[in-house]
Amino acid sequence: MIGNDVIDLSLAETESDWQRKGFLEKQFTAKEQVIILEAENSFEKVWLLWSMKESAYKIYAQLNEERFFAPKKFKCKLTSSDEGIVYFEGQKFYTSSILDGSYIFTLASLEKDVTYYSSIGPPYGIDQSIKKKLEEETGIYSSEIEQKKSENGAPKYYHKNKLLTQSCSISHHGNYGAFSLLLT
Amino acid sequence: MNREELITSLKKIVKPYIQDEEAFENLSEGTDFINDLKINSANLVDVILDVEDEFDIEIDNDSMEKMLSVKAAMDIIETKLSAS
Repeated sequence: MIGNDVIDLSLAETESDWQRKGFLEKQFTAKEQVIILEAENSFEKVWLLWSMKESAYKIYAQLNEERFFAPKKFKCKLTSSDEGIVYFEGQKFYTSSILDGSYIFTLASLEKDVTYYSSIGPPYGIDQSIKKKLEEETGIYSSEIEQKKSENGAPKYYHKNKLLTQSCSISHHGNYGAFSLLLT
Repeated sequence: MNREELITSLKKIVKPYIQDEEAFENLSEGTDFINDLKINSANLVDVILDVEDEFDIEIDNDSMEKMLSVKAAMDIIETKLSAS
């Protein structure tokens, strides 16, 4: 099971003020706040940790048809500059991020080593790109592949009644769109 | 403050963060912040902080967890206001 998140950093800069009173306290644990405030680039660290929480939440939401807003309960630990673990109620999510200066992309997975496919591009045409990728992988015409959403919005791809994606996660923000697939 | 006044001030609070104008025009108690108004999840905390400022209340973690819709927000604000 996987979940992803992408953040357009120039949009995040204008859309949110991480230095606003209460912003960090409401969403980050005391330990995470220290990591953020001690970082050379605090702004980037805010969004790295946020994307870890969000991608882990997206896995949780696929497993449990439940929605809530509790970013503080997803506790982040960085094991390197771009890898980490998110803990949530006894569950562990492994994360791996890409920070290229203009965006942050994070993929979370339940399994430590997992073979998945991710793509980061423009925010439009994601559905079509996924179908094309599935066509490449399965030989099934993309026109015959259908997206269905679970109750709480997690996308799933089918050919007739056969599920093609073991797990699928889509995110977009500003100029970026990303999808990650774990094939069946 | 009655429900109508409450929904009006809530509407003013969420306005800067919404990304679906039509859903915003038709905002009602049944409106969902993320699914309908398309508020970015990273901006949900701003909605919560703005609500705290506007009504001079404190929204604890348990209440914040449920604040995903207009109705949930209204219920939480009313409870906090009556307790203060």
